[in-house]
Amino acid sequence: MIGRRGLIGLGTVAGVIALWFLLTTLTGIVSGARFPSPSEFWASLVQIWTRGYAGGQLLAHALHSLKLVVMGFLVAIATGIPLGLWMGWSRRAEAAINPVFLVIRPIPPLAWIPLAILWLGLGDAAKIMVIWFSAFVPSVINTFAGVRNIDRPILEAARMLGTPRGRMVTEIIAPAASPLIFTGLRLSLQASWTTLVAAELVGAMVGVGFVLNMAQQDLYPAMILVGMITVGILGWATTVALARVERQALAWNVAARD
Amino acid sequence: MGSIRFQNVDKVFGASQAGVKVLDDINLEIGEKEFVAIVGPSGCGKTTCLRMVAGFEAPSSGTITVSGKVVSEPGPDRAVVFQQFALFPWKTVRENIDLGLRNKNLPAAERDRLIADALKLMNLESHAGAFPHQLSGGMQQRVAIARAYVLDPDVLLMDEPFGALDAQTRVVMQEELVRLARVNPRTVLFITHAVEEAVYLADRVAIMTRRPGRIKEVLDIKSVRLAENWDRFARIEDVMDQESFVHLRTQIWKSLREEKGAQGV
Ligand SMILES: Nc1ncnc2c1ncn2[C@@H]1O[C@H](COP(=O)(O)OP(=O)(O)OP(=O)(O)O)[C@@H](O)[C@H]1O
Ligand SMILES: [Mg+2]
Repeated sequence: MIGRRGLIGLGTVAGVIALWFLLTTLTGIVSGARFPSPSEFWASLVQIWTRGYAGGQLLAHALHSLKLVVMGFLVAIATGIPLGLWMGWSRRAEAAINPVFLVIRPIPPLAWIPLAILWLGLGDAAKIMVIWFSAFVPSVINTFAGVRNIDRPILEAARMLGTPRGRMVTEIIAPAASPLIFTGLRLSLQASWTTLVAAELVGAMVGVGFVLNMAQQDLYPAMILVGMITVGILGWATTVALARVERQALAWNVAARD
Repeated sequence: MGSIRFQNVDKVFGASQAGVKVLDDINLEIGEKEFVAIVGPSGCGKTTCLRMVAGFEAPSSGTITVSGKVVSEPGPDRAVVFQQFALFPWKTVRENIDLGLRNKNLPAAERDRLIADALKLMNLESHAGAFPHQLSGGMQQRVAIARAYVLDPDVLLMDEPFGALDAQTRVVMQEELVRLARVNPRTVLFITHAVEEAVYLADRVAIMTRRPGRIKEVLDIKSVRLAENWDRFARIEDVMDQESFVHLRTQIWKSLREEKGAQGV
């Protein structure tokens, strides 16, 4: 079922396509060498979907990129959330780790790419490492803030009930911080896509970023557009999936409900 | 089991020279199963007293003992009911009540029985699966009281537990608490701004001075309640109509007003 909002959205998409058609095919205001017409786009899509381009079919490129993003993202949050919880919980951990963060944080994630390629080559491992570095930071920072923002009475109530340490983390601190943890996860996911595509642009044998890179070298705007839209759709799909998980996990949270 | 004793307790917040003295030589003994209410001007240190018994703060000097043991940290022998309920919003009513029992490592069957009793006691049976945000304030505070009672604590510490409730709900909860105190008497330290509430609920009422808080006087309510047989009334308004009640209330009011006057408010 498509609601009112869905209809409006569809209308916008249809409008954009109509305008695109108008500017390229109908009037030729935008030349095909700069921006492809809808039919060129379609032809490129069919080409990469069936015969393949840049060494593989679209699905293979897309799945490979998706796999790397998911893996890098998971490694990042599996390390970032615990570190954030720990820094939030212990002033000592914060004091010890924060200086390192202050130095590392301003380094743009993409600046790690040369080092990663030097260490790990052009394969998957280097890309997962770069995603890890870029997606790690928002997870840590938001988890940390989430812990520090927990209402004091909640913690006191848990202590009063005799809650032991381990349970304090899993059943009190982590859920209490989870609204902000999820904010961190959303930012981490965005960072994962940004970084992956950049890493694939610089050095890769397969993946959506590689498709973009090849299409640029081939002076092939229609294929560039196919690559861009593929990234857009993949990013959107993972964001929606994460939002689903969030809705489930935060069902108890009044503030998060609409 | 269950007596509370303040012995020469001082509390200073901040560094000892530059600090603010909040409590000055508090001495108070609360007997087993006794219900003592503390009233006093805002900021006089009532909450601080309660938090020290709970183990959230330490006295700057003097000692606080509960059941003969010096308080050093929070624990389930001293259950706290907070003004803002402090329920865990991600846990259902049942899970909120269960946490303290699980922390005691009780077997599941026993926990089920205790939870059922607590739900029944607080008329929460039909809400066991609800999340706190689905309940009214009064209901949430019932959950908090159930969560405290189910631990079978030596003492109950309540800091303006009904302060966040509307007037009608408040009355219901006050009557409920009196009912609870009869079926399941506990040592209670109860803090309130509402003088009527203190007189209605407590065996004794301790009146504090303005900051730095001292215990100014302690009024015996229980003897009057027994002599006048207030318990024959089921409803709070009937008790509040009694001349003996009005007299006590006025006495406390005057004492509090002196403190406010001294503060220039
Ligand atoms: N952690 C703290 N650090 C510094 N000062 C504090 C702290 N806790 C309380 N105080 C101060 O101690 C004084 C007593 O506070 P307390 O909360 O015990 O008063 P109260 O009698 O409960 O007041 P109210 O009736 O408004 O609840 C206040 O002046 C308060 O600002
Ligand atoms: Mg207070």
